[in-house]
Amino acid sequence: MKIHSTGEVFEVGSDQSIFEVLEDNGVFLAVSCESGVCGTCQTGVISGVPDHRDVFLTDKEHAQGKFVMPCCSRSKSAILELDL
Amino acid sequence: MSQPTFPKNTWYVAAMSDEVAGSKPLGRKICGESIAFYRSHENEIAAVLDFCPHRGAALSLGYVEDGLLVCGYHGLKMGADGKTKEMPLQRVKGFPCMKSYAVEERYGFIWVWPGDQAQADKSLIPHLEWAVNPEWAYGGGLYHINCDYRLMVDNLMDLTHETYVHASSIGQKEIDESPVSTQVEGDKVITSRFMENIMAPPFWQAALRGNGLADDVLVDRWQICRFSPPSHVMIDVGVAHAGHGGFDAPADKKASSTVVDFITPETETSIWYFWGMARNFKPEDQALTDTIRDGQGKIFAEDLEVLERQQENLLAFPDYNLLKLDIDAGGVQSRRVIDRIIAKEQVKSSTIQTDAPLQTVSF
Ligand code: FES
Ligand code: FES
Ligand SMILES: [Fe+2]
Repeated sequence: MKIHSTGEVFEVGSDQSIFEVLEDNGVFLAVSCESGVCGTCQTGVISGVPDHRDVFLTDKEHAQGKFVMPCCSRSKSAILELDL
Repeated sequence: MSQPTFPKNTWYVAAMSDEVAGSKPLGRKICGESIAFYRSHENEIAAVLDFCPHRGAALSLGYVEDGLLVCGYHGLKMGADGKTKEMPLQRVKGFPCMKSYAVEERYGFIWVWPGDQAQADKSLIPHLEWAVNPEWAYGGGLYHINCDYRLMVDNLMDLTHETYVHASSIGQKEIDESPVSTQVEGDKVITSRFMENIMAPPFWQAALRGNGLADDVLVDRWQICRFSPPSHVMIDVGVAHAGHGGFDAPADKKASSTVVDFITPETETSIWYFWGMARNFKPEDQALTDTIRDGQGKIFAEDLEVLERQQENLLAFPDYNLLKLDIDAGGVQSRRVIDRIIAKEQVKSSTIQTDAPLQTVSF
């Protein structure tokens, strides 16, 4: 996963969410439910294909892939570049 | 946890119909379950866990709008199925589904099934002839009492106490001088007492007058207490001019009615007590209904302090073995029926999940 503003790249383990990795690396992202319900963590996707695990976005939004809920979601592509 | 004291997979009377009206919900605990009752679309009765999925506020403090129960804290709108339908500025489709309850309005009461919702079966609500037959009239009320519901069952299945607790209205010495007999028919318990050639006590003298009968002659009096699970007690009571057959006397020789008692546990040591009287004389006489209700309300209020203080005593001495005398047989047998039902329910529920606050979790 890549942070657009700084260019940093982090590995998201198979048992991790994007948010966990952000937090471990000191990148702040506001969350609330941490379970894909509330929409607080909604983040723009610059490139790559998210692996959506939330129930906040609609099916259409999931397909469009313009946003991702990092608190619970992951990436399908090798690199997911986030608008952070 | 120790053995529960009441069954939950059964119908209980939760409220009188007119307690839930307009846009105001009713919050009421039934068998330990906090429930918000409200009128959804077309006045249909609905019942959901009284717990807002947002922050746990009591939904019953809110109001109803467009058939939805609006939480009075931050405006979440709950549907009758336990699913959140809307909330200002929120997407709610991922909100957890809360417990909702099988509920039915019938006979002027709201009935609820507090236990496993999958087992709720509306055909198990008892038939109440007096509630559907125009030849009968009903009047009643509700008391909240801090006692185990079984103490009220005991009270109603043994009317010996009338002589003492209700001395000025329905009590009379002949009651505790007449033996009782108790029978068990399946899950039903019947305790009866018949008194012959006595003077009617004040309440029954008034009832005789209400039915256009002389109140100063000897009468035959009866009390037939009928328990049915989980905690309904219907008592046939009345007086007939002596020698005309008592309970079986023709209508123009007697004043009789059915005392109606729905005893709904709130907690293990408190109840919602729905009391009333159904009569099949002068059913159209609303003034008589009101007079009887007032009289009965005063008489039944006399039991409250007795029961609450009894409960306090039992809590203070939980290991004391209460005496079980012949007059207590009705209550003792009723408790055996209750225990049997609870035991059956426990066997069943050990295999299924119980008491989940959510009915499903959708993520
Ligand atoms: S924190 Fe609620 S959806 Fe991510
Ligand atoms: S607690 Fe009910 S809307 Fe917030
Ligand atoms: Fe009484």
